[in-house]
Amino acid sequence: MSHPIDPARVHAALAAFGPGTTLDIADEHSELLRYARSRVTAQHSERRMRVRVRINRDGRVAMGSLETLDAAAVRALAERLSDALTVLASGVESGRAPRRTDAAAPVTVPVASEATRAFTPAARHAWFSRVRDGLSGVADLGGSIRNETIERVVADDGGLYRSEVLTKASLQAVAEQGERSASVRAVHRDADQIDVDPVAGLLRSALAPLPSRDRFAGTCRVLLQPQAAITLITTYGYAALGAAGYAEGRTAVAGRLGDQVVGDLITLTDDGADPAGLPSGFDPEGTPRRRTPLIDRGALVGVVSDLERAEVTGGRSTGHAVPLGWRFGADPSPSHLLLEPGTATEDDLLSGLGEGLVVNRLDYLRVLHPKDTLVTGTTRDATYWAEDGRIVAWHPSVRLTFRMDEVLNAVLAVGAARERGEAVFMESAVAPALLVDAGPIKV
Amino acid sequence: MRDTAEAVLGLVPAGVEYADVRVVHRTHELVLAEHDGPGDVVYDDSLGVGLRVLIDGQWGFAATSRLDAAGLADVVTQAVGQARAAAGSERVRLGDPVTTRAQWRSPMEIDPFTVPLSAKLDLLVAAVKEAETAGPKVQRAEASMDFFRDDKVFANTEGALIEQTITESGGGLLVMAADDHDIQRRSYPQGVPRTIRGQRGQFATAGYEAITGLRLTEEAARVGDEAVALLTAPECPDETTTLVITGAQLAMLLHECAGHPMEADRALGTEVSLSGGTYARPERRGAFRFGAPIVSVFADATVPGGLGSYGYDDEGVPAQRTQLIRDGVFLGYMSGRESAAALDGQSSGAARADGWQRSPLVRMTNLCLGPGDSSLEEMIAGTKRGVFLDMSKGLSIDDQRMSFRFGTEVGWEIRDGKLGRLLKNCSYSGVTPRFWAGCDALGGPDEYKVHGIPSCGKGEPLQVMHIGHGTVPARFQDVRIGTR
Repeated sequence: MSHPIDPARVHAALAAFGPGTTLDIADEHSELLRYARSRVTAQHSERRMRVRVRINRDGRVAMGSLETLDAAAVRALAERLSDALTVLASGVESGRAPRRTDAAAPVTVPVASEATRAFTPAARHAWFSRVRDGLSGVADLGGSIRNETIERVVADDGGLYRSEVLTKASLQAVAEQGERSASVRAVHRDADQIDVDPVAGLLRSALAPLPSRDRFAGTCRVLLQPQAAITLITTYGYAALGAAGYAEGRTAVAGRLGDQVVGDLITLTDDGADPAGLPSGFDPEGTPRRRTPLIDRGALVGVVSDLERAEVTGGRSTGHAVPLGWRFGADPSPSHLLLEPGTATEDDLLSGLGEGLVVNRLDYLRVLHPKDTLVTGTTRDATYWAEDGRIVAWHPSVRLTFRMDEVLNAVLAVGAARERGEAVFMESAVAPALLVDAGPIKV
Repeated sequence: MRDTAEAVLGLVPAGVEYADVRVVHRTHELVLAEHDGPGDVVYDDSLGVGLRVLIDGQWGFAATSRLDAAGLADVVTQAVGQARAAAGSERVRLGDPVTTRAQWRSPMEIDPFTVPLSAKLDLLVAAVKEAETAGPKVQRAEASMDFFRDDKVFANTEGALIEQTITESGGGLLVMAADDHDIQRRSYPQGVPRTIRGQRGQFATAGYEAITGLRLTEEAARVGDEAVALLTAPECPDETTTLVITGAQLAMLLHECAGHPMEADRALGTEVSLSGGTYARPERRGAFRFGAPIVSVFADATVPGGLGSYGYDDEGVPAQRTQLIRDGVFLGYMSGRESAAALDGQSSGAARADGWQRSPLVRMTNLCLGPGDSSLEEMIAGTKRGVFLDMSKGLSIDDQRMSFRFGTEVGWEIRDGKLGRLLKNCSYSGVTPRFWAGCDALGGPDEYKVHGIPSCGKGEPLQVMHIGHGTVPARFQDVRIGTR
């Protein structure tokens, strides 16, 4: 596939929009197969170009977006934005004085996967059929198979021009058996690296023919399996580890650089180049994604920033700006979290759990009070009860309301095996299972 | 746009048993003023085409922003290729054909896109300055307004051709106050459980007159004062008590407890791997008690000014009113053609798509709770001990839409029929039918208001829909409240 973003048109657009312009352009092709109750329910193919424009002229900021680099459309938007800039008051006191990305800074550009790019409807159906047939009719299958290719360009009128091609393939499978369900998720830049064959077996195994027990009431040890841990750390990272919230005192860790903020088994880093996640080279401002240690053995050692909040991170952006008009806010936010693995095997974790809850998935985890990291959410797709270090029963899904920092402070053991996942507000996260002591989570 | 739609349908090959095409041009303007900053002006423009085809009972859908001949040919190839690859699965049925030919334009008095930017900024800056009068503990004050216009053409192979223009306007305030220990927020006139700049407040399918009716400047000082007062307010007690909530708060509660569960596609299992299933299963229609007998809920896409109002849905079915709950008993669903046919019914005209690039899903329109015969004043006066809560701030509900917890921005004690101390960090929890069984009072028609919310997410790929909720203040007995 030839790259559809023509550098000459990008430069023409920069000239049309004038001084202070940054363009964040994505040419996207995404395809999807969805299924429920073991049948295909929807298919989707989407090709679009998104051109996001930001003009910062003497501290006055106007923004816009369109879906073409066609000269007439660019000219029309440029005129509207120019008119807006003349109306806006100067905002030089706001911290929005023009800043520039260092165009010379090196970028690690991930390699796009030809297998993902070439994924066809027939290939998606083949994956679906393999998982469905592997369930042998013992459970209904729901979920989706998705592949996408995005060519990105970030350019400004100061000479910055960065480009990369990102691919991603994912499979989500939820097996339903009456009131019970189990799920498996896999995501990778390269479709060839997703091993579909074990998925049905994993689902069958998770739908273990165990008895059901009544809901436990009280506090107990909890084993958060990797996908549940991913939901926890992405929510924590989004709520607590951005430079804007840090600088404005809005987060639980504000002003606490160097302090112990969670337990000493927790080491958390943001690294857009680590192949364990879903690598990408630069943020929407064109800043290279810098490896950013955030928590080192429980101590806060960093937060993520963008150009506007670069002063919080030593005067350099860490490369964590978010897209214009992002539905999760305008503040810099972690993009590629990696929770360092421990040494505990699955048996070790269950043994350490003794009696307690095994949570495979945390769902709809939402922040109630960001300042104290209070969240509420529910368990989903296989919640078990363990006794004497063995899973002995299905437990009903439960609502859990807890402080994330208290949970991360009560981690007794960290698993050795990690899984990759993603969140709607984060490109990727990688985490192992976490064994949490009784106390911070009350069932 | 009409030519594009007809050109795409003209490219659909023989053997396609059904196809529909939507060409949508969406324009969006955001103007935001803020404390200690220049604010934002944003102009978004999106134009593209989406094509759905049905071949041997299987769907294919493709969309593109490339509207030249090659782009249109490619979108047909993609959609047809998908549908053919799915051969052999269970056949989709659509019910009766849709052959409407019509034009519809949402009513408005003042076209918001013609109002000068300077006038919009003047109003917003004045509101921010009023909010700032609450003092130095105001850390962030933002006032914003958003305007959307969708020009869209729908055509299908059954003969329908519908052109619609829908204009929406909305605005609001957000004030955050902070001291060395805490940070609190207040929103007006509606809270939005997200942090995007703009798209906050109260929205309507209307013109700029909807903004002038919001009284942003007049309310800003109170909103700022309450944000600051919350910093030193006591925490919400942890107890089971009587709960009185505003209509704004009830809008989100209704949305989660009654809206999503009564989407027919969800009841048919197509959302199981995403947001989940529902307690409102088809066999429970007419038998499941959702709540107290005073609770009746309907979806109505014809409400004048409602953010979920339109002439025709994105399958060409006319906007209509559908009763979902009557006298506390669950009756039926919001639906589109496919889901209605699967349930042996008729579409309720609730198939909606987020722009040209998404396939229609069953979505809420204006989900409304029928008013009662009480009033907020009466409810509080009739409560010996309880809390009065307003405005959502973070919420969660389980995948069957039963167990929920809602955080709120602000609360007040109720003692002996009067409002008492301000309370912070209040949340309440419940299980849907048990909670709604405790509803013993609803505000009357004079307190009825349709709240427009532009941020309802559903589906994969995600679709964000603009919806309305008609509500009144309400009272519930024996509710668990607390901070945690």
